[in-house]
Amino acid sequence: MSTPTFWRTSAHLSRRLIAAKQPYRCLSCSVRLAQELAQEQAKQDAKTTHFGFEHVPESEKESRVGAVFSSVASSYDTMNDLMSLYIHRLWKDRFVRSLNPGLHPTTSSLPSSKPTPQTILDIAGGTGDIAFRMLSHASTINNDHTSRVIVSDINPAMLSEGKKRSLETPWAGSERLSWVEANAEKLHMIEDESIDLYTVAFGIRNFTNKQAALSEAFRVLKPGGVFACLEFSKVNNAVLNGAYKRWSFGAIPLIGQLVAGDRESYQYLVESIEKFPSQREFAGMIERAGFMLPEPPWEDLMGGIAAIHKGVKPV
Amino acid sequence: MVNSKPCHAALKPSSCVRSKPCRRLYHSYEHERPPPFAPTESRILSAALSHVPTHGFATAALIQGARDAGYLDVSTNLFPTGPFSIVNYHLVTQRLALAKDAPSTNDTANNISENIRTLALRRLHANKPIIHRWQEALALLTTPAHLPTSLRELALLSDEFLFLAGSTDVTSTWYTNRAGLAVIYASAELYMTTDMSKDFVETEEFLTRRLAEGEKVKGLVGGVGAWAGMQAGGLVDGLRSKGIWI
Repeated sequence: MSTPTFWRTSAHLSRRLIAAKQPYRCLSCSVRLAQELAQEQAKQDAKTTHFGFEHVPESEKESRVGAVFSSVASSYDTMNDLMSLYIHRLWKDRFVRSLNPGLHPTTSSLPSSKPTPQTILDIAGGTGDIAFRMLSHASTINNDHTSRVIVSDINPAMLSEGKKRSLETPWAGSERLSWVEANAEKLHMIEDESIDLYTVAFGIRNFTNKQAALSEAFRVLKPGGVFACLEFSKVNNAVLNGAYKRWSFGAIPLIGQLVAGDRESYQYLVESIEKFPSQREFAGMIERAGFMLPEPPWEDLMGGIAAIHKGVKPV
Repeated sequence: MVNSKPCHAALKPSSCVRSKPCRRLYHSYEHERPPPFAPTESRILSAALSHVPTHGFATAALIQGARDAGYLDVSTNLFPTGPFSIVNYHLVTQRLALAKDAPSTNDTANNISENIRTLALRRLHANKPIIHRWQEALALLTTPAHLPTSLRELALLSDEFLFLAGSTDVTSTWYTNRAGLAVIYASAELYMTTDMSKDFVETEEFLTRRLAEGEKVKGLVGGVGAWAGMQAGGLVDGLRSKGIWI
């Protein structure tokens, strides 16, 4: 019954769509245009990198990311809770639990082998979220009171926020917890093959050169050591993706403006999530750095809003 | 050989991210099967399996296995399913081991049921060294998260039995045979965990009885099916003779 109306509407719509198309362009012109565009793109790629949706010179990204995090450091936790509706805590718990840091109790009592305490390097872990969970898991679940965590962050404001928070934990001032200000692409203060577990949670998408950071992770890890990354990723379900994009582009910058008084930083945050490679591409990057991937290579959290990637350095 | 190469980018199925040989979806008599586990994984898992009699199917065995292979405790992150990966390793390797000394194709034609019995017994005996821990494995196998993998593995095992025994059915019995054999094998495996007899003779008898029952049921179902088909045909013919257009 509604067919005539439907046809009229669709015919009208298609006329409008056709009219909106660009006028005919001869093939030779379009080829030349495409070549010019490609050259321009290549020129840009040589020197620039993404900063959210913007293209910025590679040398500039570090300082601009720095500015973002210096600006948000003080309200970082409140904002994380509000933006993720407290779910980031569940993700971080899941991340740490699946890694099972610390020496396993049944094996550490075996007389045959003397295991050395683990050294865990938490990159971009300024506020200590992951580090405190690691120490807590090792101590309370595995009864391991020897393994230690090095927290590294490029941003002194975030590190001081973490140090402030560590005062409320049992590990404040203990040698199990130490702090390093470093760029994850140049970890010269960390020796080769000295780390058991390298973690980076919600940090790697801000790195200027992700592949360089992965190679650096490969260098500092002991043979058999594990690289683990928790990061925002691509949502698999179209419906969920629609709702999620609405939330991230609509609500998050607004919350940032109201709570932290800084809209630009949170606009950068959602744009950087959008620019981060998909699960498959990122797993390929980890493998290219030399790691062995588990099967399956990643674990999606909440349909792919975030994902846990792991890699093991071969012996 | 073709199989040992990493899969071609254009033909990559969705599960193939890494440069590991792809799973093959058909059987070839000419080419060997690609190995089911990467070398490192199988080194750690086989070492872990040797610790199962003492530690059970648990994280402790996996960690010991990693250490024996020269890896760290934390390297067990290579196995997201934890202890279940040891169970899976045992199931897959033992299934593939069946093909090594299977009855040759010449003497398969006459006695398929006897071949099936021999193969099932050989597979059950492969569980001997870890039988006192097998209930832990069964618990892991029936965990909801692992159930799809376990059922798939059981179906593959049942298929392997029938294939190696020389069964060439291509009718609907292809499905019923495999389903029936899977049920019989799984129950025999469960029976074996509480079998205290010497050299598991009671399990052997149990298996023989179940297989004989299976044959009987198969005959009965076949007979009933033939009878029902006959009756249905007669009914249709009768109705047609009354002028109903069927």
